[in-house]
Amino acid sequence: MDRSIARTAVFTGAIAGIVVIYLALVGMIERLDDLPIIGRVGMDTILIFLPAAVGGWVVTRPRVVGGERRTTTPGAAAVTGMAEGLVAGVVVELALGLVSVLGIETVRQVFSAVSPALIEIMRFHMAPVPAAVVMIAGTTFVGLAGGVLRVLPKEVRAPIASGLFAIVVVALLQRVIAPAFDQMNIERDWLYSPVTTGLTWIGGAVVFVLTAAAVRFHLGRWLAGILMPSRYPSAAPATAPSDAEGTNREASSEDRRTSLDAGISRRGIAIVAWCVIALIVAFLPYLVGPVVSRILGTVGIFLLLGLGLNIVVGFAGLLDLGYVAFFAVGAYFTAILTGGQRVTFTGYEAPAFGFHLSFYAALPIVIAIAALVGVIIGAPVLRLRGDYLAIVTLGFGEIARVIFGSTWAQSLFGGSLGMSGITAAKVPGVPMNFQADPRHFYFLVLVFCLLAVFVSWRLQGSRVGRAWNAMREDEQVADAMGISTTRFKLLAFAMGGAIGAVGGALFAVSLGSLTIASFQILVSITALAVIILGGLGSIPGVVVGALVLIGLPGLLTQFVDYRLLIYGAVLIAIMLLRPQGLVPNVRVSRELKEDERSQDQWAKHLLEQDATDAPEPTGGALT
Amino acid sequence: MAEEGVRAETPTVRKLSRLERLPIRRIVLTVLTVAIAVVVGGGIYKTLTLPEAERLGWTFWANLMVIGLALGAVYALIALGYTLVYGILRMINFAHGEVFMAGAFGSYFFATAYADSGFLNAHPWAALGILFLVGMTVSTAIAVLLERVAYRPLRNAPRLVPLITAIGASLFLQNSFQGFFGSQTRGYPRPSILDGTIQIGQVSFDKIDPVVIITAIVVMAGLQFFVKRTKTGKAMRAVAQDREIASLMGIDVDRVVVTTFVLGGMLAGIAGVLYALTFGQVGATMGFLPGIAAFTAAVLGGIGSIPGAAIGGLTLGVAESVGPYLLLIGIDVPSPYELRGVITFSILVLVLIFRPGGILGTGEAEKV
Repeated sequence: MDRSIARTAVFTGAIAGIVVIYLALVGMIERLDDLPIIGRVGMDTILIFLPAAVGGWVVTRPRVVGGERRTTTPGAAAVTGMAEGLVAGVVVELALGLVSVLGIETVRQVFSAVSPALIEIMRFHMAPVPAAVVMIAGTTFVGLAGGVLRVLPKEVRAPIASGLFAIVVVALLQRVIAPAFDQMNIERDWLYSPVTTGLTWIGGAVVFVLTAAAVRFHLGRWLAGILMPSRYPSAAPATAPSDAEGTNREASSEDRRTSLDAGISRRGIAIVAWCVIALIVAFLPYLVGPVVSRILGTVGIFLLLGLGLNIVVGFAGLLDLGYVAFFAVGAYFTAILTGGQRVTFTGYEAPAFGFHLSFYAALPIVIAIAALVGVIIGAPVLRLRGDYLAIVTLGFGEIARVIFGSTWAQSLFGGSLGMSGITAAKVPGVPMNFQADPRHFYFLVLVFCLLAVFVSWRLQGSRVGRAWNAMREDEQVADAMGISTTRFKLLAFAMGGAIGAVGGALFAVSLGSLTIASFQILVSITALAVIILGGLGSIPGVVVGALVLIGLPGLLTQFVDYRLLIYGAVLIAIMLLRPQGLVPNVRVSRELKEDERSQDQWAKHLLEQDATDAPEPTGGALT
Repeated sequence: MAEEGVRAETPTVRKLSRLERLPIRRIVLTVLTVAIAVVVGGGIYKTLTLPEAERLGWTFWANLMVIGLALGAVYALIALGYTLVYGILRMINFAHGEVFMAGAFGSYFFATAYADSGFLNAHPWAALGILFLVGMTVSTAIAVLLERVAYRPLRNAPRLVPLITAIGASLFLQNSFQGFFGSQTRGYPRPSILDGTIQIGQVSFDKIDPVVIITAIVVMAGLQFFVKRTKTGKAMRAVAQDREIASLMGIDVDRVVVTTFVLGGMLAGIAGVLYALTFGQVGATMGFLPGIAAFTAAVLGGIGSIPGAAIGGLTLGVAESVGPYLLLIGIDVPSPYELRGVITFSILVLVLIFRPGGILGTGEAEKV
């Protein structure tokens, strides 16, 4: 192990230790103590050991030395990983020692999360010395595991990592999966322990094996290929022998795909698969019960916001941080138009300007107002560049919030006390009550979400969508190609605003009342995090983003306090590690891959020639 | 559109394209200008010509001016952080408001400890000196960390990418502090020599206000000297003009960028302590609004310009404190102070639309 690797290992280990200390100080470890994952192992234990494992993975990454890519040898990986884990454990123990020297009460005066309970957790409910041994041994082991995972061949590594990840996910989804099993009369005690509500060891093993097998045989990739067949003919499959690292992933999956296709019609599978998905979506509220349905309703509202913002940011490339303005416009105008009353200190009063329309009559008006607001906000800022545009729209969002909540506009919008008595969206002949049964609201939201997905999907490939695309990539070139950037920018603001306003309208009828506290700037940033996580411009990405960022914190009450913290971390991490998002836009990623592949082909071609007659490389090289 | 020529034959299409030719931007801008002129002009006129009994005396306005200048001085210090970073990296450090908050919060623990031990009142100037040092250290540490983790890996990424990480960093820092120290706002002790008011003629104002203004002016003068007269300052200006050429001339760009963040962090730390002393409280969410206001100040003065940030900060501070009363009392708007946020943001929007270079800038911002 040479010197620089040793330094990296110590540095990374120290960072991993500091991350654990951070998680403890911010209160997360203690808060997640009552979130069991598997057996008696809780989320808190995972948080304590995960950083060291990730550190072990990071320090053994292939390095470039003198323009040459060097992968770590298995022996070096094991030693480096262990060293990293050891340092991480020592750093954490040093911090724990410092706390006991200073006294918990003293530290607590500054860091309010430090408590005897937290120290107990960090010591695994043991005496200090054995606890330190366990901690350091544990971090060393996971550091080693992280390092070893790196040098395993990809066919082994990916299934193991996915299997472990799936255990955590299935455990976290206990509140969704357990009631669904009950509804379908499936025995579930083997999966979720009735004592801890986490997974049982047997259940965990089953989840691990199933996921690992699915990943090993590229089931997910195959399924995705079936469900969303690309409109572009797939490029000639690369025929390079698999060398276990990155670049040939696509090739092996395509081989896989063709072999699975043999005998079964792809179209048939696609239809069946889509029908199953549709059935699940349609019966989901009855499977998971009213509490989760309420969360799904919120997910739906943010899905709408995400889809709308995706048009503005993802398709047209205009970073709008004031998107909450449309949400507020939708909610407040729905309130006014459907007979909402303003709340006063003495009771309720009719707003100065109000109607008693039904929700469905009010909605087109609300959409039109929102589109108009989009044009009004969009017109003055047409000439601003990306980052300035972001700040100005942020300003518009704040102006909207201040005005809707001000004493000045109280006679219209109820000021700081808000509005109440908003008429629910009733369908004639169907008994609906959103407050009493959130399942009804789920279906209402579902209809509008599907509509918005359809609109986005059709827009994406349309002339308008392609114009936005061109504008996003290069405004000047788009202008030169004859695209009226003024018109398409305003159209993006109007369309995005209209969809956001629908979200606001649904939000208003779901609660029946409004206060200005629901329209903070954070709504804009949440919607932004939703689309960034999934991938800008990607419609499935928005769905995934909304489910993960809105659904998970809703399910796991332990996470609610850390929701915004996690959104912030997600925004940073995605931009640093995977700017295209989790479910990237098909076209963009295909273009990227195409590029990569042709480069690989070029490199391979060079290598082959090199072996035979060593010609001059053409272009690119320094001569 | 390229295809329009083919289809323009049909009358419906022709009608549509005539509609499209409407100069929407100009219409909205004209309406906006007229509306603002009416509100500002009418509001000021009505407020100043209120009946004798309701009219506000000049001492009231003078008092607001002093408060506004003190607030503006704090804004100016934060704005300098935005301006320096923008000048060098052409990026908006959205998390700078949190850097400011961190400084205030960091010094809070020392301030309360000194207040409890009596050191704060026994040796107020020494205690204040230490508080400033602590605030500067914490803010600088956060700013440097921010640059290293969130911005440096993305220095050559598309412009929106670092902006998004900056938003994420802002959210992350704010909520981390909330997790560390709790979400309640806390009272910030003030040494007794800064308590109370000063009476000059008929105008009385808090003792802290002139202290804030003077401190800020001294600090800004120091910064101006640093940037204009020292070698490091020269390197900063070189990097601001052209990063690549500067690095070819042997300037270590990474070091200059870190220096910039250090300077911004130090100024934000001082601003944080001053702000906490003025308003007597700190909290994890205190950074957001001053952060945006300071950004507005930087843009107002001309982003990238150091004197611009000072002028912009002071102007905005006064506009924020005097504006709501001057414009809105006359037209019978209840609780005008509530609407000061609208004034800040309107100034931001209007400057960016009508004069993106700011007061001291010319067109696009180009200089430090």
